Amino acid sequence: MINFIDISKTFTMKKQQTNALDHVSLQVRAGDIFGVIGFSGAGKSTLLRMVNGLETPTGGRIEVDGQDINTLSFSELRQVRKRIGMIFQQFNLLNSKTVYDNIAIPLRLNRVGEKEIRARVSELLEFVGLSDKVNAYPNQLSGGQKQRVGIARALATNPSILLCDEATSALDPETTDSILRLLEKINRELKITILIVTHEIHVIQRICNKVAVMEHGRVIEWGSVLDVFSNPQQEITKKFVQTVIADKIPDSIVQKLQGDRRNYKILRLQFLGENVRDNVLYRINKDFDVETNILFASVNELQQTVLGIFVIQVIGESPEIERVMDYIRNQQLSWQEVMI
Amino acid sequence: MMELGVPFSKIVLAAQQTIYMVSISLAIGSVLAMMMAMTLVLTNDNGILKNKYVYTVLNTVINIIRSIPFIILMVFILPLTKEIVGTRVGTTAALVPLVVFIAPYLTRLFENSILEVDKGIVEAAQAMGASYFEIVWYFLLPEAYGSLILSVTIGTIGLIGATAMAGAIGAGGVGDLALTYGYERLNFPLMLFTVIVLIIFVQIIQSFGNYFSSKVRNH
Repeated sequence: MINFIDISKTFTMKKQQTNALDHVSLQVRAGDIFGVIGFSGAGKSTLLRMVNGLETPTGGRIEVDGQDINTLSFSELRQVRKRIGMIFQQFNLLNSKTVYDNIAIPLRLNRVGEKEIRARVSELLEFVGLSDKVNAYPNQLSGGQKQRVGIARALATNPSILLCDEATSALDPETTDSILRLLEKINRELKITILIVTHEIHVIQRICNKVAVMEHGRVIEWGSVLDVFSNPQQEITKKFVQTVIADKIPDSIVQKLQGDRRNYKILRLQFLGENVRDNVLYRINKDFDVETNILFASVNELQQTVLGIFVIQVIGESPEIERVMDYIRNQQLSWQEVMI
Repeated sequence: MMELGVPFSKIVLAAQQTIYMVSISLAIGSVLAMMMAMTLVLTNDNGILKNKYVYTVLNTVINIIRSIPFIILMVFILPLTKEIVGTRVGTTAALVPLVVFIAPYLTRLFENSILEVDKGIVEAAQAMGASYFEIVWYFLLPEAYGSLILSVTIGTIGLIGATAMAGAIGAGGVGDLALTYGYERLNFPLMLFTVIVLIIFVQIIQSFGNYFSSKVRNH
């Protein structure tokens, strides 16, 4: 659907070259909600803007539905842009126009008749839940409502792709959640592929099925949200993931453990899917001569799959603890020993 | 009523001349200024049609014209005036220097108004697949509208000031009346009268400008 092939972008400022993007390759499939995360300056917005040709790469190419964006003439590019919706952090609504006229603009650009526009706008307003605001001006709306208008405007021309540039970053958490639910509905009901750029990991956790992590213009890690979140490889990914999926033993417990004179090991077990969890803990307690103590547990839902993280203290004789570790090794779960 | 020392018909004629000069040169000047301002905004460094050459030339020309005081500009371009309207004197002849004076002035004001429009609006327009003309027509102009009204208001008032000097080439008008009768013939009541009329004129224009601008802006 969207194919970034070895994209580079170099800016030259005061004879100093900066690589905004450095050989980035990614594939977004039809139906994905693809999230790109990184700190500001990582190049993610530049990458997003390449999909509709607002930015052009200095190396590599972008294919949208098999079409190379950068070889198109300006009028061909404009036709492609009409099939790609875009929403923004600052909404970018026309303050001089009513909600109705804002949503009607892309239709007017397409020379759609006023009667048809009226029907389409009211349909869109109903979809985003703002039917009562049709004659309001943007300044009379809250941030969340403005973004709903932005979304309605982006959907007006029935795009197949929706680009979201930090679309929830100016909103409070509750509003963010409602906008994310709306995006999810757009993906599910209208079958629109969504590409999201954000610095908020919970946006990725909440709705994305794929994620790419960017740093200094490079994609350092990408894949399904489930894989990346359950097994982050890069430091920065771990940092991001830790803020939504806690797996650290609280300090007070660490302190207590340091005073514990018994023979023990601390194991971090990670379960994907619900079925195995109870069984494993039950077996350890029942079949081995050890005492287990849960130091920390968290259960998170990702893509309708449960990710459970348990940190347990196994207390007993060393050979018996070894037997427990052998048993865990044979189970379908990832685990590691934790040193404190 | 106070004795003004000139026939009332002369005052009416002067007022008509001023209104004629201001309205015609404002109309022509605004159209030219809008085209130049739009060109400046689109071709500047952050513009969507960035063109250093066009921008620099236009920018410099505007600066040069704006450096010349109106009274000097008026006599300086007399040959051009003769070329265009066929005469060097009279109310119509004053239109040429007035347009040459007000167009660059309005260009700067319009340029500022259009630059006030959030860059994000242009980006949204581009993302919708708008053409350059559509970006100007459907996005930049509506968004700058309130500010443009204020710019025209300021331009109009500046223009009224300039018409006072147009008497130098026999254009007449309220300012000329005050100078020839009020100043040179030491007719203080007439002077006072024209000053009051001008103040009222300017107040009314500014109030109208403020009213319409805020009506457009305060949505």
